[in-house]
Amino acid sequence: MNVKSWGAMLVAATVAGGCGEADRQAGTTPADTAHSPDAAYVLAAEPSGSLGVGEARRLADEEVTVVGRIGGSAKPFVDGLAAFTIVDPSIPYCADEEGCPTPWDYCCTQNEVKDNIATVEIVDDQGQTVAKDAKALLGVKELSTVVVQGKARRDEQGNLTVLASKVFVKK
Amino acid sequence: MLGFRPLPWEYGVRNLLRRPTRSALTLGALATVVLLVFVVVGFIRGLERSLAVSGDPSVVLVYSLAAEESIENSSIPARTDGLITASLSGIHKRFGVTHVSPELYLGTRVAVGESEQGALGLVRGVTEAVPLVRRRVRLIEGSWPGPGEVLVGKLAPAKLGSTADELALGNSVRFEGREWKISGRFTAGGSALESEIWCRLSDFQQALKRQDLSVVALLLREGASASEVELFCKRRVDLELQAVRETAYYESLQKHYRPVRMLAWLVVFLVAGAGVFAGLNMMYGAVAGRIREVATLQAVGYRRRAILLSLIQEGALLSAAASLLAGGSALWLLNGMAVRFTMGAFTLRVDSVALLIGCGTGLLLGVLGAIPPAIKALRLPVAESLKAI
Repeated sequence: MNVKSWGAMLVAATVAGGCGEADRQAGTTPADTAHSPDAAYVLAAEPSGSLGVGEARRLADEEVTVVGRIGGSAKPFVDGLAAFTIVDPSIPYCADEEGCPTPWDYCCTQNEVKDNIATVEIVDDQGQTVAKDAKALLGVKELSTVVVQGKARRDEQGNLTVLASKVFVKK
Repeated sequence: MLGFRPLPWEYGVRNLLRRPTRSALTLGALATVVLLVFVVVGFIRGLERSLAVSGDPSVVLVYSLAAEESIENSSIPARTDGLITASLSGIHKRFGVTHVSPELYLGTRVAVGESEQGALGLVRGVTEAVPLVRRRVRLIEGSWPGPGEVLVGKLAPAKLGSTADELALGNSVRFEGREWKISGRFTAGGSALESEIWCRLSDFQQALKRQDLSVVALLLREGASASEVELFCKRRVDLELQAVRETAYYESLQKHYRPVRMLAWLVVFLVAGAGVFAGLNMMYGAVAGRIREVATLQAVGYRRRAILLSLIQEGALLSAAASLLAGGSALWLLNGMAVRFTMGAFTLRVDSVALLIGCGTGLLLGVLGAIPPAIKALRLPVAESLKAI
């Protein structure tokens, strides 16, 4: 086989491999699209005294600062509303080497997630949930670590919802 | 056209009639190939249409988070419909009735007639609220099921591998250890629901010894968004629910069946490819026997391209006739034929797209099949060809 043939094979393999990778990523990895966050809701510095989600579910007062990682299901964001679920950062998600296509669903640690998950709704001055995707509003994606400040609302079943007015995006 | 004198149109037509057996055989072979293309394209179009019409953009399905993309695997608390009704304001409401349909859905063995074994059928336990949400459903025969009775969808016989007579009104089917009398038949605008059997939710729960539901389907009021339902599911983490628009649910099924569709298209190309080779073979045979005739036409002054055009005309005429024959047969025999499939059943659909693809393939076979042998015959020296046997 001459140099040209090897070159052609290399190009073909690169194109084929590249396409497959692109397809895989398009469907399964967090969106990499860069969104410029809305300064009205995003904090420049990390607030102090934040609680993990698990602790907040047990102890939180009306005003809380909670830290968590966006995830808990295959689709943690609500379409068209600035709302999502966060999981306590102490709960591990599937490691990269496990090859899980949606590590943010915590499929390996579902039982631990139940008591360490909270819903975050970004609310405006009137207390209404902002009608914009959280990804675009805050510049976040699945598995981003966020610190949210706001009012805690807990129902009889122990579900915690944080009506957040400010969010700090850690990474 | 300056300097170009084509052969008369009638010459090609008469040539076909001069060899009736060979023409009839070529016509039959081409028609068979095109009919095969119609079968495969009709299958793809039927499957696509069944999934496309199955979703109502105003309907949201609430089911278990753990079920992922299959409602059959879903199990949610029986109180879910009540909680949704009480918690959401975006649900359509008329005369004080909120349009929410709690349903229990299961794939199970259904026995029909004398058969003991039965076939895998799809059964849905429903309440009288179901037609408020499933708006395409029409009762075409009989009445709403009472205790121990069922409604059967128009395509349920195909799904169960039985006949319409076996699932006629008054007959019985057996599933989950009970005998159920057929009280009526329904259609659902060609959607996947048509291959199902419906019974009363409470009866089905008793038969299965289950108290839960599989799915709650709700109709949004005009202008309302599915986001409100999604947000409710996120807030009620304890219930482990997810909300998906019905259209999105069936789109995900479309993705699921994508390999099947790709395979079917591959079959279309393979069948068409085989048809091209068969056509080439036939045309080679047809032209090989006419070398002297072709040379004579050249000798009397017809240009090669005029003769080529006439030979293509013959091929195109034959393939057009074959396409018409196959198209007519497909519309008469295949269109609307029910096919059993994993998700239920659907009907083969010979629509405008299928006709375009089938007839286009047929015409292409005739034209492409005629060119290579004609060129080969025209390349031979005239003097040599005139002496050919």
